[in-house]
Amino acid sequence: MDNDRSHDNLKEQDYLKDMPNHEFDEAVNTMQSSIQDEIAASTDLLGDKLDISMLKNEYSADDVQYQKKIQNLEKRYSHVRKTRGDGNCFFRAFGFGYLEHMLSDKKDYPIFQENASNSFQKLMDLKYPSFTVEDFFENFISVVNSVKEGVSHTELLNTFREEGMSNYFVVYLRLITSCQLQSDSDFYQNFIDGGKTLVEFCKTEVEPMYLESDHIHIIALTSALGACVRVAYMDRGGDDLSFHDFPEDSQPTLHLLYRPGHYDVLYPR
Amino acid sequence: MATSAAVLLLRKQLAELQKHPVDGFSAGLVDEVNIFKWEILIIGPADSLYDGGYFKAHMTFPEDYPQRPPKLKFISDIWHPNVGKDGMVCISILHEPGDDKYGYEKAAERWLPVHTVETIMVSVISLLCDPNDESPANVDAAKEFREDKKKFKRHVAKCVRKSQEEL
Repeated sequence: MDNDRSHDNLKEQDYLKDMPNHEFDEAVNTMQSSIQDEIAASTDLLGDKLDISMLKNEYSADDVQYQKKIQNLEKRYSHVRKTRGDGNCFFRAFGFGYLEHMLSDKKDYPIFQENASNSFQKLMDLKYPSFTVEDFFENFISVVNSVKEGVSHTELLNTFREEGMSNYFVVYLRLITSCQLQSDSDFYQNFIDGGKTLVEFCKTEVEPMYLESDHIHIIALTSALGACVRVAYMDRGGDDLSFHDFPEDSQPTLHLLYRPGHYDVLYPR
Repeated sequence: MATSAAVLLLRKQLAELQKHPVDGFSAGLVDEVNIFKWEILIIGPADSLYDGGYFKAHMTFPEDYPQRPPKLKFISDIWHPNVGKDGMVCISILHEPGDDKYGYEKAAERWLPVHTVETIMVSVISLLCDPNDESPANVDAAKEFREDKKKFKRHVAKCVRKSQEEL
């Protein structure tokens, strides 16, 4: 079976090798989007709130390392809400999770709203095209304002489940992140390896949709919006979970679960 | 499902371009009922071999535009290293983001949701002035461009004349 598959892969590579460049790109894109279509068909952009114990079923019972980590997770958290693994999961989890939190606790809202409102001018100062950015901003700020205007939990959830609205929100969070990185480039430049300039990094790793987020994205987005986030890391390293707060020494209001390549929303007990 | 956002943004852009036209091209719809397929008329830039030509192209937007790029295809015959013989324009700004497979395209020039029809067309027009023969979509045109400029110019001039006749 495995042999068959690797044989197929070889044939596929041969087939790609002989293509002119643009057809090769086309073929790769088609393959990628068919993988993405598969993911889209099998998971919601944003799932329902699930009991945290459900996570146990995702790993085999004799996976001692993960089962132990999940037990520890259960002590702190009661529920998890999954996001679609389309590369936008951090932004979507952050966007929905933070607004959801502010529906019930308005304490963090004023500072979030102020930073959100000011972000458009900051992008204009960096000479972003107003035409498109305005479109993303208007959508974004109307969702942010809806929290103050008493939007219901179901309506907020529906907004983040509707592909157009949800992705527009993600596009704008990516722009805020990029803007923050560029505004404080002396600081962030130190985190970028691979010989890219900060602007190149933003254009290739931050602003395009469907690309995964790293520490640097989280640092930039949380500091741009004045948000406090705790990430619980569950991976193959170490015997126990590790936690990281953004910014450090803050009181986190939103909790996210990280598993390699993916973020979901966590609900503390 | 993502369509409504795309429709609004495309309508807004079309209205803006028709109210405040941009030098070098004009834009309309192929069919009034379909906002996802535009007809673009590109005016051959004055300082290029394409001067005097009027080239028709269709720009087709995906349903999840602007998260993904449109495609641009010349309907008029055009002889250019970066336009395939089928008319497809091969330019980095219309490529999905991702690893650079060939190492000579600046990744920073790839598709981003903030791009507009105008920013795309600015890149396409500059490509007419300055072909990139390192990543050709039309290998014969690229070879001619590199090795036999005279023949290349004749080929282009023929397309320019044909485009004028078809106008």
